[in-house]
Amino acid sequence: MNTDMNNDMSTEIWLTLISIAVGTYLLRLVPHVWMQYKLARHENSDVSASTPDWLTVMGPGMIAAMFGTSVVPMQLSTLSWMATAAGLLATLLVWRKTRSMGLPTLAGVLVFGLVKVVFA
Amino acid sequence: MSNMSSTRAGAQPAAWLQGIKDALPLLGAYIPIAISFGLIAIQSGFGVLETILISTIIYAGASQFLFVAMVAAGSPLWLVVIMTLLINARHVLYAPNLAVYLGNDKRWIPLMHGLTDQVFALSHSRMPAMAKDQRMAWYTSAALVAWFSWIGGTAIGAIAGEELTQRWPLINDVLPFALPALFLVLVLPRCNNRMWTAAIATAAVLALVVKLCGYPNVAIPLAAMAGAMVFYALKPARSAQASQSAQASS
Repeated sequence: MNTDMNNDMSTEIWLTLISIAVGTYLLRLVPHVWMQYKLARHENSDVSASTPDWLTVMGPGMIAAMFGTSVVPMQLSTLSWMATAAGLLATLLVWRKTRSMGLPTLAGVLVFGLVKVVFA
Repeated sequence: MSNMSSTRAGAQPAAWLQGIKDALPLLGAYIPIAISFGLIAIQSGFGVLETILISTIIYAGASQFLFVAMVAAGSPLWLVVIMTLLINARHVLYAPNLAVYLGNDKRWIPLMHGLTDQVFALSHSRMPAMAKDQRMAWYTSAALVAWFSWIGGTAIGAIAGEELTQRWPLINDVLPFALPALFLVLVLPRCNNRMWTAAIATAAVLALVVKLCGYPNVAIPLAAMAGAMVFYALKPARSAQASQSAQASS
C-alpha cells in the first residue's frame, strides 16, 4: 500500500497538496493585506472605527464555537462526558483563582485524565 | 532615557519568552492530534517525508485529515482542493480581527502561515494588553512553538505512532483535553456582561450540538454567526439604556 501510494504520489497529488497549501496560506494572508490597506486609508481617523463592527463580534464568537466543538469527546460515552464536565469545572475554578492560562489548562487535563483512569 | 531604552531592549526577550509560555498549553493538544494524523497518513499509504511535508505546508488539522482520506479513497483531486479549502475558509476572519494590533510591517506576511484557529484565539486574547513593539516577537515565538509541535507530533506519529498509541493509549485520550480547557480560558474573560455571555454561550452550545449532529465543519462558522446574531439582538436594548442613563446623568 505504502509503495503503491509512493508510486502514485504523482505530479497531480503533489500539485493538489501545493494548491491546498497555497490556498490555505492565502485564506490567512489576503484578509490581512486587505485590512492593512483599509487601515492605511483611514490613517488619520480612529483605527477601531475602520474595523467592521460585525468582525469584532465574530472573533469571540469563533473562539466560543471552537470551544463548543472541542468539548465533544472523541468517544461518546457517559464516562467521557463526566470527565469532560469535571475537567471543565476544574479549569473554571482554577481560572477564577489565578486568571492565568497555563495552570487552569493543566488542571483541566489532570482532572479529565483522573476521572478517566479512576472510573474506567 | 537610558533607563527607557534598557526597558524596551529587555521587553523583546520577555515577549519572546511570554509567547513560548502562552503557547505551551497548545502542546498538549497539538502533539497528540498530530501523532494521530501522522499515523493515519502512513496507514493511508503516504510516506514519512510526505506526511511531515503535509503538516509543514498545509498546517491546518481538519483539512489535512480530509486531504489524506480523500486522496486514499481516490476522490477527484479538484474536489479534494475545493473541500479542504472550504473547511479552511473560516480562517479569512482571523487576520481582520487582529488587524488593529498587527500594523503594516511587511514581516507579518510570512507570519500569517502560522495563524491557525488556536494561535488566532491566543492572539485575540493576549495582544490587546500587549505593547505594540512586543506583539511581533510574542506572536512569532507562540506561532513557532505551535508549528514545530505540529510538525514534530506528525513526525512522531509517522515514525512510531502505532507503537506509541498501543503502549500509552491515554496519550491520545487525555492530552487533547488541553484544547477545550484552553479555549474555555480564552473565552471566559469575555463573559463580563450579559450581552457577551449570551452570545458566547449560544455559539458554544450550538457548535457542540451541530458537531454532535455530524456536521463538524460547518459548526464553527454557523455557531459564530448565531452568537453574533444574539449579540446584535440584545445590543439595541442595552445601547438605548446606556444612552438614557447618559442623558439622565447629564
